[in-house]
Amino acid sequence: MPAYPYLEYKGPMSSAPAAVPRDVAARMAAVVGASHCISEDADLRTYECDGLTGVRVRPALVVLPGSTEEVAQVIRLAREANLPIVPRGSGTGLSGGALPVPGCVVVALSRMKRILELDLENGWVRVEPGVANLDVSKAVGPAGYYYAPDPSSQSICSIGGNVAENSGGAHCLKYGFTSNHVLGARLVLADGSIADLGGPVLDTPGYDLLGVLVGSEGLLGIVTEVVLRLLRKPQATRTFFATFPSTDEAGNAVSAIIASGIVPAAIEMMDKLAIVAAKAATGVDWPVVGAALLMDVDGPLAEVEHTADNAVELARAAGALEIRRPRDEAERALMWKGRKSAFAAVGRISPNYTVQDGVIPRSEIAKVLREIDDMTRKRGLRVANVFHAGDGNLHPLVLYDASVPGQEQSAEELGGEILRMCIRYGGSITGEHGVGADKAIYMGEMFSADDLETMGLVRCAFDPEIRFNPGKVFPTPRLCGDRPGKAWRE
Amino acid sequence: MAAPARPGTEADAILGVRPEAVYEPSTVEEAVEVVRESARGKKRLAFVGGGTELSLGAPPAGLDVILKTGRLARVIEHAPSDQIVIAEAGLTLAALQATLASHRQRLALDPPLPSRATLGGIVAANAFGPRRARYGSVRDLIIGVSIVRSDGTVARGGGKVVKNVAGFDLPKLMVGSLGTLGLIATVTFRLYPLPEQTATLVLRGRSAGQVSTLVGRLREAQLEPASVVAFWNDGGSFDFAVRFEGFSKGVAEQCERFASLVLGETGAACDRLEGAVAEALWARHDTLRSEPSFRAKLAALPSSIESIAAETLPPLLSALESPGWVWYATLGLGFVTGEPRSSEALAAAVEASRARLARGGGTLVIQAAPAGVRERVAVWGPPPPALPLMKSIKERLDQGRRLSPGRFVGGI
Repeated sequence: MPAYPYLEYKGPMSSAPAAVPRDVAARMAAVVGASHCISEDADLRTYECDGLTGVRVRPALVVLPGSTEEVAQVIRLAREANLPIVPRGSGTGLSGGALPVPGCVVVALSRMKRILELDLENGWVRVEPGVANLDVSKAVGPAGYYYAPDPSSQSICSIGGNVAENSGGAHCLKYGFTSNHVLGARLVLADGSIADLGGPVLDTPGYDLLGVLVGSEGLLGIVTEVVLRLLRKPQATRTFFATFPSTDEAGNAVSAIIASGIVPAAIEMMDKLAIVAAKAATGVDWPVVGAALLMDVDGPLAEVEHTADNAVELARAAGALEIRRPRDEAERALMWKGRKSAFAAVGRISPNYTVQDGVIPRSEIAKVLREIDDMTRKRGLRVANVFHAGDGNLHPLVLYDASVPGQEQSAEELGGEILRMCIRYGGSITGEHGVGADKAIYMGEMFSADDLETMGLVRCAFDPEIRFNPGKVFPTPRLCGDRPGKAWRE
Repeated sequence: MAAPARPGTEADAILGVRPEAVYEPSTVEEAVEVVRESARGKKRLAFVGGGTELSLGAPPAGLDVILKTGRLARVIEHAPSDQIVIAEAGLTLAALQATLASHRQRLALDPPLPSRATLGGIVAANAFGPRRARYGSVRDLIIGVSIVRSDGTVARGGGKVVKNVAGFDLPKLMVGSLGTLGLIATVTFRLYPLPEQTATLVLRGRSAGQVSTLVGRLREAQLEPASVVAFWNDGGSFDFAVRFEGFSKGVAEQCERFASLVLGETGAACDRLEGAVAEALWARHDTLRSEPSFRAKLAALPSSIESIAAETLPPLLSALESPGWVWYATLGLGFVTGEPRSSEALAAAVEASRARLARGGGTLVIQAAPAGVRERVAVWGPPPPALPLMKSIKERLDQGRRLSPGRFVGGI
């Protein structure tokens, strides 16, 4: 297992008792029901990690509340007993945001999965946090509406988790991220009180606390209701798949399409290794070439046909070898299946791999991919690239063999080098997977001490005891009682 | 102090409160120095951009220093191929748009008075215009910010790539914060390409019910307008204006479909406004929002337009001379403007309208009003449910409570 500095966390809450006192566990069980309170060692194992499976910590207790009131009571009990709390959705996160802290209570929201209120006329729905992302679109799809953010895990990942991570997806290039589609939230705070932020009516007077909440990775409280914006389905969608000799030409095609004034719904890039993996896993009949783009444009029919034709011409001019346009919805679905299963597909061609997530300015794609290739070759490793090219959000999949001594370590280091490169290019250490436990150590390289202190003050305003998700996101959280300002840091 | 000060005058006053001194730093470093110096002297500070939204909020409980950002007007970085721009806060929207236009790009924000309104002010006031229907508001377009906290600490949030989830979203926290959390020093926005074609269509003399129906039909027809605005005419009817933007072929097709949809629904033909006539319509929008001495912002569910027109607003509109009401029909936002006939009657009408709106989850905030009205009715209305959290944020980021104290929601 790689060394995670997270495990050496010594901040607030790290001195919590190693186990939950028996009477506290009993009181929590009384709140949520005995069958929804997990304390047996074997059952706790399910909650040891999230999608970042390389590091595992056994929680002291897992509770699955069924209502806002139950969440509030659980939090009050945890506070009385001075226990840290780790919120959890479906556990699909890739940065260890739901990784337990030793001695913590995991509050899993998976039982709260009702759709509470639907108002299509005004374009919103109120849901509980445990509802799966795709289930929202399924519920409103027959009426011609959908929920726009579409992370690859959308059939399992929960809305509450999406809110915590500000999840993206392939189509956020045009439609934006979770934060652009969350209108309101009910939040249970560290003292067990309830705060309602925003709502179906726009522009609630006051600070945009909802904007701060979305993407706060479970550090500010537990969300128990979410109001989501619903969109009318676009009139038409046109998809094309284009192959290129190398990622250079594909990267240039992306730049040319964007520069022409087209706002595509999605542009995804796959390099040769990712194409090979996708073919192996899904049976798509893609040629094995240097790179491929998968692109969607959507909107009113005439606009879409015009932009799709233009984009195809621009891809040709940039050096496309072949362009395929799906004949029907089934063919289109298969193309997207090939793309969306690419992460898991890499398992077919390598015994082990890690998924990285970083962002660079999209105009640098071709250059950056060559740089990644150089770094990878030097280490004798392989990297498959499958990513959101339209917004420069890279997902290098670092392939390695854990049975070869030193490879896992080397793969880990390569991931770090790639993140530092993203920072050097003026990008970000995460575009959609979050910082979590995995990347907290890089926050100090992307942000200054003053930036982090300011974010820390915001955190203290919500959670002065650092009870929620201690050790995540911020490498060295401060005690909130300390005086902020220059003197405070000396 | 790095930047020279001048004594404050009546012309510098914010809601009648006059500062002792006014600074106009020409660099961010100088601005930081002004804030630090003010911190040492425990001076109360306000930040002023183009001064187009100074009527927002309650009068500050005290004001020693105004920092004007007008000379912080540089474009720091415009990366056309990445469609982002980083600029200092004092740059006017019009100046920014001129720079971007040479690369066929724009910031998709269109509040009134672009030649005076500054980027920092637009963020601090959460200012928006008719294009919000398609492109969203400041919070959807801002991707990075650097701020100077009241103790002089410079902090940055977000970044210069559109997709970025590292750290808390400080840029959004600054949106609408009216200078109460810190000086916005620089802002980073995502940009959009300038559309090849723009078209405005108007259907005159419609009822609230018809406006509501047309909004529904637009949505069902999967049209994607950039702006959807209903202008209320004294007498009760609305002029319903829709603007399409995009590639010429797409705009032409959307216009045709809209026109036939309108014909089918109302039996009336809509006018397609060309060039100067279309510009005049949108200028009418800007004038209506910026010139009258009284302006209230309404927020409600879009579907409530009929009850708002029939019940909520009549008392308010009749308490105004030359009343106006502009309604962003897909958003459920609007502005009521005019000249108060009597402060007492207007204050009472505001209270009544506010109470009615609140029943449907709506709000009414007074954005501009003569002193006589302000004395009689709270500009912000009842505090939002999350006020304790907001106060907690303010206490942490501005410990001495020196940044425009009392101007914001709930006395913040």
